[in-house]
Order: sequence, then C-alpha cells, then structure tokens
Amino acid sequence: MDISESTDQGVKVAALKGRLDTATAPLAEGKLLGLLEGGAKVVADLAEVHYVSSAGLRVLLKAAKQAKAIGGSFAIAAPQAPVREVLEISGFDKILAIHASSGAAVAALA
Amino acid sequence: MPLTMPEEILLLMLDDQSGRLQERAAPSGDYALAGGVLAELALAGRIDTDPGRLYVVDPAPTGDALLDRALAQIAAAPEAGDSRHWIETLAADADEYRDALFERLVAKGILKRVEGRFLWVFPERRYPMVSDKEEREVKARIMGVLFQDDIPDPRDSMLIGLCRAGGLFSLILSTQELDRVQGRIDQVADLEELNRSLADAIREIYAQIARYAPMV
Repeated sequence: MDISESTDQGVKVAALKGRLDTATAPLAEGKLLGLLEGGAKVVADLAEVHYVSSAGLRVLLKAAKQAKAIGGSFAIAAPQAPVREVLEISGFDKILAIHASSGAAVAALA
Repeated sequence: MPLTMPEEILLLMLDDQSGRLQERAAPSGDYALAGGVLAELALAGRIDTDPGRLYVVDPAPTGDALLDRALAQIAAAPEAGDSRHWIETLAADADEYRDALFERLVAKGILKRVEGRFLWVFPERRYPMVSDKEEREVKARIMGVLFQDDIPDPRDSMLIGLCRAGGLFSLILSTQELDRVQGRIDQVADLEELNRSLADAIREIYAQIARYAPMV
C-alpha cells in the first residue's frame, strides 16, 4: 500500500492506494494515528483503494476513535462503490463522516 | 492474564450457582463459542474476512492450543469458505471446545469441577463459580460500551456480537435495559462482519426450529 500525504486548508489528507487489509493495516494505522497527533484534522482519501477487509475497517474505526478522544477530526473521502458498500453494510456510515470527494471532506473539516 | 473471548462467553453462559449452562443460552451458544474462536484469530492477525470469504493471512500458531487447532483446520481446507461456513464448521466441534475451555477456567481458579448425578442416575459434570471477579469485569466492560456513546474497540464490538448471538443479553440486562440499548447493541455488533455472519447463521437455526417444531 502506498500512502501519500498532503495538506489542504489546514486539513491533512492521506491518500491511500491499494488494498487495506491485515497485511497493510499496521502501516495505514500508524500513518493515520500519527497524522492525528495533536488533535489534527485528517482525511483518509480512499479513491485508490479497491479492497477493504474487516481488518482494514478496524483501522478506520480506530482512527475515528482516536480523533474523538484527542479532540481532532477524521473523515473518509471518495470510497469506490464496493468499498462504500462494505462501509454501509457494517454501519460505518453512521459513525464515520464519509464524503464523495477529498475536496468535500476537506471543506467539511476545514 | 486476560480471558479470551471464548472463555468470557462461556462464563456468561454459565449459571453461576448451579454451574450448569443456562438453558436460555442454547442452541446458539455453540455458534457464539465458534464465533469467539474466530474473533480471537481475527484480532490476532491470523485470519481476515470480507462479506464473501474468510481467509488465513498468517498460519503461524498463536500459542493458544484451542485457537491454533481452528487456525490449522481453516488453513488446511481445500477451498476458502465464508465466515458463516466456518462458524458452522467450528460449532460442530463445540462440545470439545467447551470441555477444553471449562478445564482452562478451572485451571485459572475461576470455576471448580463437580462430578455428580442428574436425577440420581445420569453422570453430570458441573462447573460452579469460585471467583466471580472475571465475570463481573466482563459484564462491566459490556455495560460501559452499551450505555455510552463512544466508538467501541474492535474487541468490545466482537464480544457484544457474541453475546447477542448467544442470547446472553436477556440474562445480563433487565427487560427495560434491553429495550433501551437494543439499537446500540445492533449498531456496535454489526460493525464486525463476523458478528453479522453469526447473526445470519443463528436466524437460520431458529427458522429451522420454527419449521420443524409443529411436527414434534
């Protein structure tokens, strides 16, 4: 998995690319929790993520939990249709902020 | 040493005084135990799931004989199955898992083994509680998640799904409490794919019972 970082209007954007599963979960988790340090605003851009397993979903939940605990913000942007479906079946869309695009997520958090 | 989820679930299924399994926990208790084994393997990074399949990502033993037995079984399967397939497959060996878990809880000083006779005739083994500290801690953890609005830890989501599967909430909550938190139970449990598959498998058991009950 590749993760590239950028900052837009004071919001940190982590663009994930590849599969988010057991193999890549530790890397993604470390990166997202690191970005959240100090109560930052963070968007996980999933536009280039074509598969999310249960272990991958737990990473997103942990990031959201951490953001809440330390007064930061966390949102997901641009999930592909199959990923979005998994997020909806599991009810993650009721707990996490999910936006159609990275720009929309940044605008919501900025 | 913290208890594993199968151990926690078994403790909750036990009538503390008599040391017998709660009748109300049956018949889905076997599935809840199997789900607990899979949940531990998932959180240990040995298996992963998605709505279509359950697969081994790391066949290395965990050091827990019970979990490793299930892991080896899944790793050796010629074809991948989904979570529900593995819940049903492991639940077929629930008696063996349960016996091993009881022995472990005895070894940890939480339960004691009592050999006796049921109706003066049938040999019966019971496991009354010696220390209720562990069970109280598990219940407190569950209550903490249900009566707060925080995002749950994966382990707590799993445990709550297992309790839902085993029909255990009616044993640990009053009817009023259950009414109040049923929505939260479902929200927290459904976060985990294993819990949703477990719920599907159990719905099927009850559908079968309903289908055949009039014939008995």
